[in-house]
Amino acid sequence: MADKKINKRDIAKLPNEWCREFSVLVPSRESGTVAMTRWDGKDIGFLDWYRNTVVPPRDSFLPLIEEMFSFYKDKDGYNIELPPPKEQKQLIFGIRPCDARALAILDMTFNDGYQDPYYLGRRQNTVLVGIGCTKAYDSCFCTSLGNSPTDTTGVDLMLTDIGEDFLVEAITDAGKELLTTSSLSKATEADQARAKVSEETARQKVTRNIDIRDIAQKLRASFEDQDFWQKVAAKCISCGICTLLCPTCYCFDINDEMSKAQGVRCRSLDSCSFPIYTRMPMENPRTEKWRRVRNKVCHKYEFYPMLFDAIACTGCGRCIRLCPVNWDIIQIIESVPTGA
Amino acid sequence: MTVTDISRRKKFFAQGNAYVPHIVVIEKIIEETPDTRTFHFSFKDEKLRKDFIFESGQFAEYSVFGVGEAPFTISSSPTRRSHLECTIKRVGRVTNALHRLGVGAEIGFRGPYGNGFPLDYLQGKNLVFIAGGIGMAPLRSLIWSVIDNRDSYQKIDIIYGARSPADLCFRYDLDLWGRDKTINLVTTVDKGDEGWSGREGFVPQVVEQVAPSASDAVAIVGGPPVMIRLTFPVLKNLGFAPEQMLTTLEKRIKCGIGKCGRCNIGNIYVCRDGPVFSYAQIKQFISSEY
Ligand code: SF4
Ligand code: FES
Repeated sequence: MADKKINKRDIAKLPNEWCREFSVLVPSRESGTVAMTRWDGKDIGFLDWYRNTVVPPRDSFLPLIEEMFSFYKDKDGYNIELPPPKEQKQLIFGIRPCDARALAILDMTFNDGYQDPYYLGRRQNTVLVGIGCTKAYDSCFCTSLGNSPTDTTGVDLMLTDIGEDFLVEAITDAGKELLTTSSLSKATEADQARAKVSEETARQKVTRNIDIRDIAQKLRASFEDQDFWQKVAAKCISCGICTLLCPTCYCFDINDEMSKAQGVRCRSLDSCSFPIYTRMPMENPRTEKWRRVRNKVCHKYEFYPMLFDAIACTGCGRCIRLCPVNWDIIQIIESVPTGA
Repeated sequence: MTVTDISRRKKFFAQGNAYVPHIVVIEKIIEETPDTRTFHFSFKDEKLRKDFIFESGQFAEYSVFGVGEAPFTISSSPTRRSHLECTIKRVGRVTNALHRLGVGAEIGFRGPYGNGFPLDYLQGKNLVFIAGGIGMAPLRSLIWSVIDNRDSYQKIDIIYGARSPADLCFRYDLDLWGRDKTINLVTTVDKGDEGWSGREGFVPQVVEQVAPSASDAVAIVGGPPVMIRLTFPVLKNLGFAPEQMLTTLEKRIKCGIGKCGRCNIGNIYVCRDGPVFSYAQIKQFISSEY
């Protein structure tokens, strides 16, 4: 293997090099939350405090709100203008394995049938540099979903903490092209061994587990178990946080905004937790909260696997950490009746 | 696919950006009922006017710029290509804005979306159309295309109901269908008035009375969800098998192309896998939220 390594003291040299070609995003606390934000070019301070972002990196591909096109009227009628294509390539530095995998899961939807130009445009324009986790949260459960704190699914380049250094591993061709900087040295066999140990240690730190064996079948069998779903939904306040900050949630709405003679058609994130999400003028199939909660859980663990053979959950734990009423997906998945 | 046969799902290949609507121009407006209008419209672009194709049962997203988008079935027939039609009931923000528009106004149109009626399956069969209110819109498209290829089909029954005579849409079509010797048209209203010569009673009851034969027949049902749910058992009693009953389902639809998530019934996306389903398929749905 031709893996490289870099001393942690030199880490800023990487984005320094990359930012000539890319707009580099790094985890930052600037906005009052933790989100991927344009690197200010100074140092890489996030390594000291960073565990994961609150706002998932999905936001860089499917933002909270985006302009799809603008329109205006002149004497010949309506005209439509697309936003100018982004010329500069993006690089996300520090994405966690769960969130990179989440993007691979989202790709399935946005590639299926019709290729969504907005999402895929950004995907094709972005390189992902992952950093393996060493400090999992209490709410992380990635290892139960075939994932791990050092998994490389979806990333182009992967950094693994091996003490003084990071092991730097190119996963894709795009990743290889990032390995040009002179601050990298060749990784030795001892480094590789250290990476293995570090991987194992990181794994051990993920303490919550979820039993997903036969989960789709169990959910199918319990779909009409209204008592169960009512219990599960009881404390949810339908705030939508768990979906808006879920790295694999993608539901969106399309709306027009007007300012004077110019209008913009926008796409914004939506949430199946909200009753208006499915509201039609005359009726609504999911006015009751338990139906919405059921749809959310089943979409991730039953419907998505039926459509794409993949569970739409990566175990990042955000929905557990950030829920104001401590709703806990693990407890729910564990308590699904066997249906027997 | 595990749950329902969606092999008929059309891969939607759009050129360029499917979210960007084409501009169409309203050419005529027909007052169907106090709250429902049919808009005749054509593409502004000459080439599209010639090239645009769709199937009965497919829908499109219509937009009033600055107000937003809403989905409606194309209610004209693909066999009559001089212009397109859609029939819209005034119920929400976008539909109200549409109703404020006059002839000459430009609106956004993207589509066609969805699967449409399975013509190959219907050919050679007796067809029983059952509709309530504005639920006639998608069926009407199919009815005209069947009439325009009359030799390819057997008997045609049309059972159409509304709350009152004033709530019947497409009365100009009903006139023509009523005079057509090859069609058995039955109209019904919940409550008639002095001039009313049709039946009185709810659609499912009238279906029971008319009792169309299930032999070599397909029933196509369109209307409010309650009506659809009550009509299926009646048809079943008449001997219709689940495969012999088709309907179009309505859900909140936004993107129309299986991305935005909201039109799902379990793992089914109505916008992309439907809106036309057989009762056999519906029975297989994971969820009864239809
Ligand atoms: S974050 Fe918690 S309370 Fe809010 S919608 Fe999700 S489960 Fe319900
Ligand atoms: S309307 Fe968006 S997925 Fe069906």
